[in-house]
Amino acid sequence: MPQESDKTKTAGALAEESASLNPLAADPELLSDFILESREHLTSIELQLLTLDQDPTNSEAIHAIFRGFHTIKGMAGFLDQDAVRDVAHEVETVLDLARNGQLTITGAIIDRILESKDYLNRCLAELEPALATGNLPTPPDNSALLVAIRSMSAKPVERETSGGEKPVAPVRTVAIEAAAPTETVETATEGLADLAREVGKVEAGKAEVAKVEVAKIEVAKIEAGEVPTETPAESGAAAESGEGPKANVARAAGPRSIKVDTSKLDYLVDMVGEMVIAQSLVHHDPDLAVGLKPRLGRNLSQLARITDEVQRTAMSMRMIPVGQLFQKTSRLVRDLSRKAAKQVELELFGEETELDRNIVEDLADPLMHMVRNSVDHGIEVPAERTRNGKPATAKVTLRAGHQAGQIVIQVSDDGRGLDQAKILRKAVEKRLVSREAQLSEGEIFNLIFHPGFSTADQITDVSGRGVGMDVVRKQVQKLRGRIDVISKPGQGTTFLLKLPLTLAIIDGLVVGVGGQRYIVPIFAVREMLKPPEESISTLQGRQEMAMVRGSLLPLVRLHQRFGVQPRYENPWDSLLIVSESRGKQFCLMVDELIGKQEVVIKSLGETMANISGVAGGAILGDGRVGLILDLEGLFGVSNSE
Amino acid sequence: MATITQSIPTSQKPDHRTGKYLTFGLGNEEFAIQVMGVREIMGIQEITAVPQMPAYVKGVLNLRGKVIPIVDLRLKFGLPEIDYTARTCIIVAQIHNQAGKLQMGIIVDGVSEVLTLQGADIEDTPDFGNGVETPYILGMAKIKNKVKILLDLNMVLTAQEMQGLDGIAG
Repeated sequence: MPQESDKTKTAGALAEESASLNPLAADPELLSDFILESREHLTSIELQLLTLDQDPTNSEAIHAIFRGFHTIKGMAGFLDQDAVRDVAHEVETVLDLARNGQLTITGAIIDRILESKDYLNRCLAELEPALATGNLPTPPDNSALLVAIRSMSAKPVERETSGGEKPVAPVRTVAIEAAAPTETVETATEGLADLAREVGKVEAGKAEVAKVEVAKIEVAKIEAGEVPTETPAESGAAAESGEGPKANVARAAGPRSIKVDTSKLDYLVDMVGEMVIAQSLVHHDPDLAVGLKPRLGRNLSQLARITDEVQRTAMSMRMIPVGQLFQKTSRLVRDLSRKAAKQVELELFGEETELDRNIVEDLADPLMHMVRNSVDHGIEVPAERTRNGKPATAKVTLRAGHQAGQIVIQVSDDGRGLDQAKILRKAVEKRLVSREAQLSEGEIFNLIFHPGFSTADQITDVSGRGVGMDVVRKQVQKLRGRIDVISKPGQGTTFLLKLPLTLAIIDGLVVGVGGQRYIVPIFAVREMLKPPEESISTLQGRQEMAMVRGSLLPLVRLHQRFGVQPRYENPWDSLLIVSESRGKQFCLMVDELIGKQEVVIKSLGETMANISGVAGGAILGDGRVGLILDLEGLFGVSNSE
Repeated sequence: MATITQSIPTSQKPDHRTGKYLTFGLGNEEFAIQVMGVREIMGIQEITAVPQMPAYVKGVLNLRGKVIPIVDLRLKFGLPEIDYTARTCIIVAQIHNQAGKLQMGIIVDGVSEVLTLQGADIEDTPDFGNGVETPYILGMAKIKNKVKILLDLNMVLTAQEMQGLDGIAG
């Protein structure tokens, strides 16, 4: 393609006089931007392709896909990523024919383009580590793919017929000076504007309480103010570049957003947290309580309200809609249903539900597993469905929503459902349950999450579930969530995922032992009690136990674990927290309950990463650090001794 | 806008040792660390103890929303523990090691002054014989007839060493 390489060279030459042999050495940031932007384009391309799959004549979608590949081609050419450029170019040629009406889009063409998209994704994945090492990898072989795509544009194409097309400008990014190739979060600009407004209010509020001289709160405020005030300006830039030639359809339609370095966001959240603490310190200052004038009191409450609002906004900036995750499954459903010759329709609800970005990332795999299970095993072939009086086209539904402070994600199918009898039989065979055991429906369904059930030759072909379901549960538990199964024979199966809103915050009980305070995550707590003296017994004079509601539970003394001098030596003076670890209940002995608090989880750093019994640290209301307990770790250590 | 991510390698070359130093006392000895790495100095505060850590790791502290580890340099150097006084300080320093950058606080008896040291002021660490290795000592400075020991904090407080001790303690 001589013309092509000429063209990209000129484009490159316009922006930078010498295209270096190794663009990485010249500008690693450019490459990191390339990867980031290309990924975005590829995601939007996939989306548009799936739209096109439904409606092959959708010219809007064809144009959007064309633009995406075109941009990637331009950037790749500029960065000497020839393999990427060539594939993008060939696809572009096909799409060009399609948009000029010289070629009709078929399922086969969409398959091929999806394949190309996957190839480009692979290239990007391989390029990424190069950012750190500086060594460019050899891209995966693309010759077969190139031939395949070329065969689609069978008509001889002498030169690119895109005279009126926009110039390939070098990538201009809106990303705020990313120092190193770091992750970025897209934050809705409204959120930032909100925050900026609130910070403005705080500044105003500050003037009012200026008489109360608290240096600390000023520091916190100024630093918190720094970040948001510069961002609205950036959002203007984002809008500008959005109007440029590269404006893609998805971006234009969705809410305006900008990219912000996650480390900056984390810093903002940290600082806002400190601001809240400083604010509460002022609020509860004993000097202020004496003869508090109504005006000062009013101003202080106003300040409290605003800081609260700022904190909430700052927290919400880490949240992204779950829709992106859902959309990824549409591709999976399409591929799987084709392969298995099943007719499956995917329905998405509640795509706008927001989740912490980290959760969304970690949820991708479990969701894929569940959807794969539904399509592969849950759903019957069309013939069987019609025989059973069901519509030939099956439905897989993904639904997200809020429920009681949690996010609930539901994956349902209208397939054959779980077969209780068969699951039970397998479980007995595998000695997971005894023959006489009386299990409830829920307990039987939960057996499918057992690791023993996940091996391929087990239950998969009989009851239809089991592949990797233990992995799903493990991952969900890691996210501090839970998973339940509901199933009716012949009517389908539903997986219910319940997840916390964010991983960054947990609800905790603040407990005291001696002079130390610890945070017990509330999700791990079953109950708390002050035991009567006669309920405590010892085993072999050593292992202590407490009788709680008729069952003997081992007792773990927190002060012994952590080597702290406690206030009370006797369990009947102390407080027992009943908790559960790996299906076994135990009691944790602490001095007292101090209160309940929502805390932001902070890492203790690498040097203290692997302390058994400690999950992290959190800043308490008075600005001091409290350790967050890891109850599983605590019980595990005490058991092994 | 590319930034240099790699830390400056700790070097023993004399020309790298000139510069400004923060001096502090520890027992009867005077130590000095390069000012470049010092982020701030604060009075002693309540520290949250962390279990299963070597004795010289006093715990963690909230430094404006960041949780940073605190090391008692006295205990680290095997000096007897004393009660903290009004002069006791926490020096917050930026440490570079293989794992990256991290902030850490070190507890010292009291900080004294900032000195500018020339190459001529600095002598190499004397050979103590018997295979005594002192990789964390950059050199010795003789100022007004008092010897100040120049420390390389990166070597004193490496994550590797602390993890190693962690393993022993656990």
